[in-house]
Amino acid sequence: MKRVAVAAVGVVSSLGVGAEANLAGIREGRQGAVTLDWLAPAGLGCSTVAQVPSEVVDLPGYPDDRKVALLAAAIEEALAGYPPDGPPERRGIFLGTGLSSVTPREIEEDVSPHVRGERVDRALAMGDLSRDRVAPWRHLPERATAWGAARIGARGPVGTTFSACAAGAEAIAAGARAVARGEADWVIAGGYDAMIHPLGMASFDVLGVLSHQGCRPFDRRRDGFLLGEGAAVLVLVPEDRCPHPLAWILGAGSSLDASGITAPHPEGVGAESAMRRALRDAGLRPEQVDWVHAHGTATQVGDAVEAGAISRVFGAGVPVSSLKGAFGHTLAAAGAVESAATVLALRAGLIPGTAMCEEPDDFGINVLRATTASAPKIALSNSFGFGGQNTSVIFAAGE
Amino acid sequence: MRAVQITAWASIATAEEREAFNPRRDLPNRKHLKLMTPSVRLGVAAIGKALAARQGWEDVPAERRGLFVGTTPGTGEGGDLAPALEAAVGADGAVDLERFGREGEALVPPLWLVRGLSNNILGFASAYWDLRGVNGNRTEGRVSGLGALVDGYWAVAEGRADLVIAGGADALAEAEAILGHPAGDGAAFVVLEPGAGPLRVQRAGVRLRAEGCATLAEPDLGAADGPVRLVRQLASGARSLRVEVCDPMGLTGFIELAGPDAARA
Repeated sequence: MKRVAVAAVGVVSSLGVGAEANLAGIREGRQGAVTLDWLAPAGLGCSTVAQVPSEVVDLPGYPDDRKVALLAAAIEEALAGYPPDGPPERRGIFLGTGLSSVTPREIEEDVSPHVRGERVDRALAMGDLSRDRVAPWRHLPERATAWGAARIGARGPVGTTFSACAAGAEAIAAGARAVARGEADWVIAGGYDAMIHPLGMASFDVLGVLSHQGCRPFDRRRDGFLLGEGAAVLVLVPEDRCPHPLAWILGAGSSLDASGITAPHPEGVGAESAMRRALRDAGLRPEQVDWVHAHGTATQVGDAVEAGAISRVFGAGVPVSSLKGAFGHTLAAAGAVESAATVLALRAGLIPGTAMCEEPDDFGINVLRATTASAPKIALSNSFGFGGQNTSVIFAAGE
Repeated sequence: MRAVQITAWASIATAEEREAFNPRRDLPNRKHLKLMTPSVRLGVAAIGKALAARQGWEDVPAERRGLFVGTTPGTGEGGDLAPALEAAVGADGAVDLERFGREGEALVPPLWLVRGLSNNILGFASAYWDLRGVNGNRTEGRVSGLGALVDGYWAVAEGRADLVIAGGADALAEAEAILGHPAGDGAAFVVLEPGAGPLRVQRAGVRLRAEGCATLAEPDLGAADGPVRLVRQLASGARSLRVEVCDPMGLTGFIELAGPDAARA
């Protein structure tokens, strides 16, 4: 892929609102976890989450839709960093999002009143909803994309993806390709998600993937992730429009595990394929990569599978870290939030450490625990999702 | 940039096709049926039919076989959550989300979340037919299926895959009352490969229309709308055609086939 300039970043996460706050958190190796008072009495197995630390104001027209509010904040920061220019037909937007599109309010107002015994009375539900024409449209992801397109004045290529936890990375790869092939000159690409509510917490808790002690990627004591929330977008433009960008996107690769929907391929063949394809797309050899920003969810199986794939592609030496100890798992936004973090770290000359990892498991890879100022030039960021979708994106430091 | 052509197609959309569809017989593993929502069943079966229509697809290496799907988010079964929600209703009859966490969590089926993922068509189909290549899952309402075709087109054109299955699936029949207009269930997929044959793809894209969406197609097949229309035209013998689908949000997807004369030129 022809390289694409990352001209600006907008990011909201548990480390804070904005690039500056997030970079400061990364430098400090901070964990953005909080225990929520209102979750504790809810009796859920886990009440510690990685929540955005400031008040989140609803976007007008999107009541109780926290994820869209986060997206709007990220887009506004990116717009301030590199405002759109050129004709609307040459501007595009690519966003990834997830299940949180069903908001607590919808559950409360649209579903719960129609529960009769142990089933949902569909006829009753349909009848009620037909009188409230707002409800069906409230959760549609394309509505947020259309809002974003209107906000940036885009009439160019548009895309909305749901690829579970690979969605944000997939959207960034799609946006970069649209710029690289000359279909657009100014693209917003990223992802957003927010599931910190009892329904979201319960959904993951019953799967046994939430940690009760803190998210410890690649640690011997890892027992899952903290639920995070966030949004991040990158402004992507052709090289000639921004010769001195924050960073470059050099390539991307995607793959399917082809092994089922609930667990990664046991040998990580899909993860390995995505990384190798990204390297090929970027025209790089493995030894040219200075940092692997791992998906690193801190689940027993997930980390072991990813470590094996990294080891086969890169060997044992390349520094590997995961920022889920800092951000929690921001789900469909993870690929975008972590891509933004990759850009900020490369810009600052840092390889972030793996917050909360105290005793790395014996995976045969070089898990970096503390942040180092080693001026990395090239980083590969991994995002893997339920359903076996894998995406890797390669970034280079700006000049 | 490589020329891209359609080499096979299949749908489960007409009344006859839906009547003939038997999930227990037509899907590779009946044990998975309980994990599949209606749109997932339709989508996976239509992918199988499209591959069956492209003889010799197995000769393309698994790593070079891509899959792009257009779906609707939140396709899980609300009924799965009914017991947990019932337990969350307080004395005043209102739902208490904290009570939901306290009383309801134990009643949430462990695979509720997984069953509701809108990329499950990708997950099941990739496993059944060993599709390991590039992929994507578009969720942008009625434009979703055409969005998947757009992504599949570029994947073949840019040399990232040698065979791509792309299309969409949806199940909206039960949502007619919400939508306020006729709606149905359906799925359609096409096989895209390099080549400049008579079914060459000329252009494809998704855009936000400045003027909004004038008319909506009926019956509304949601994410499957565009692919179903395309397959109907292909089945009728059309070779030079344009399919355009507009979503209420103003998004518009389109695909154009050049026809045999343009291919020769």
